[in-house]
Amino acid sequence: MAPSLLHPPSQLSPAAALQLSQQAPAVLQNSPSTVSKSPFSALFSASETPELWIKYENLLLSCLRTGDELAAKQCLERLVARFGDGNERIMAFKGLVKEADAQHNGELETVLKEYEQILRDNDTNIPITKRRIALLRSMGRVPDAVSALVQLLDFSPTDAEAWSELADLYLSQGMYPQAIYAMEEVLILAPNAWSVHARLGEILLMAATAPGAAGASYQKYMAEALKRFSRSIELCDDYLRGYYGLKLVTTKLLKESAKLAKQAEEDGLVLPDTNTIERLNELATAKLSEIIRHSTAQDRGWRGYDQGEVAVARELLSEDSSAASRIER
Amino acid sequence: MTSPPVQLQAITPSLPTRRDKAVAPFRIMTWISKTITLLGAVLLGHACYSAQEHSALQSFKAATTTLTSTSAVASLPIDIAIETVVATLVILLGLVLGTRPLRPIQWNVWAGKIEREGEEGFLDSEGEMNRDFVGNPFSFLETRPGFVDIRKQRKEFAGWIKNSGPQ
Repeated sequence: MAPSLLHPPSQLSPAAALQLSQQAPAVLQNSPSTVSKSPFSALFSASETPELWIKYENLLLSCLRTGDELAAKQCLERLVARFGDGNERIMAFKGLVKEADAQHNGELETVLKEYEQILRDNDTNIPITKRRIALLRSMGRVPDAVSALVQLLDFSPTDAEAWSELADLYLSQGMYPQAIYAMEEVLILAPNAWSVHARLGEILLMAATAPGAAGASYQKYMAEALKRFSRSIELCDDYLRGYYGLKLVTTKLLKESAKLAKQAEEDGLVLPDTNTIERLNELATAKLSEIIRHSTAQDRGWRGYDQGEVAVARELLSEDSSAASRIER
Repeated sequence: MTSPPVQLQAITPSLPTRRDKAVAPFRIMTWISKTITLLGAVLLGHACYSAQEHSALQSFKAATTTLTSTSAVASLPIDIAIETVVATLVILLGLVLGTRPLRPIQWNVWAGKIEREGEEGFLDSEGEMNRDFVGNPFSFLETRPGFVDIRKQRKEFAGWIKNSGPQ
């Protein structure tokens, strides 16, 4: 099925993005380029819908990604004609097109200066602030990006997207405790987001397996990761990513159960007993194999999973079963 | 860095057939429901016609025979009344069968449906995707469209075109 132009295209595969940007000529031709504001023309032409502008935005992003600048500029022109130069969101799109056009670092510096000029005039322009942070990060100036992001979060602390970006920035620098803190802030703002729970579980697991972590902190991270993955599958039935994480954590814990049992009592977060972990492990195995079976057979109602993710889960299960058979022998 | 648009348009997007298979049960359901609704409508029409004929006959009788005045005119025969009620119920049944499946109202069931079925679980009876379906509503927290690094995306895309390319 062709991906819909109404959904943000940033998570699409290259093939899907290509497919979308190939629709550009047809979409540009069939959609009205401007919508008149006079009430008389509204009587005779089709009425304006928000979907039209969402379409233009998403088409703009896909075309920029696939390098179809012509169509991207057309989309931008229409958006500017509708919303004007002063619209904050449109300003961010204009900056985005300039970034994509920039050939070398000098041009990027100019774009950055423009952003800073805009922010000097109006420092509450959040889309431009975010563009500036993204550009700083893209240019490799991570510390600057982090401090700008912290500043943004200082005056807009309920921006879950920004907290999530901060977590990703810290994670890219290997600063696990900070990344975990930022991700927990995201969870405060979106407590039902099953994917964020799973993501935090993954970060915790990374923190636990990082070379620095040992002893009590290792155990704390593992216990919390276990809880996060459990919460994600509680919020979402048959969540492949959640079960995958749960399987990883429980297998790891079961392997090391002898070592861990002694240090348990010190901290607030206590690992559940081995019995519970074993049952969780069995549950994850059963669910994963069910998902893999249905998904490979392309059963009705099981086609939403990403094939790559299913393949990785299959690998994990086969590794696990081979390890088990080695032990038995 | 930019790949020419000519190359992009050389690949025709092919529509997969998966969608047609998914839609088939909906088609059968709408067919059944439409038949039942039509049957109910015919029954209802018949009942109305009978009632009308009956009253016409009664008034004709009343006009010709002035002996017995009010008692016979008052009520419809019971079979017409039953037919009307049955016809209404049959129409209701047809309409109810034609509605699309109810959405899950529990968070975990609904979320699981999104993950398990993807877009397919949210098609309406005509096989069109629901306009308000957005997939995982929290995915923006991981893709972060406000912070998109367009230059990295372009590089990755150019690399993808060079290495594997569209088949």
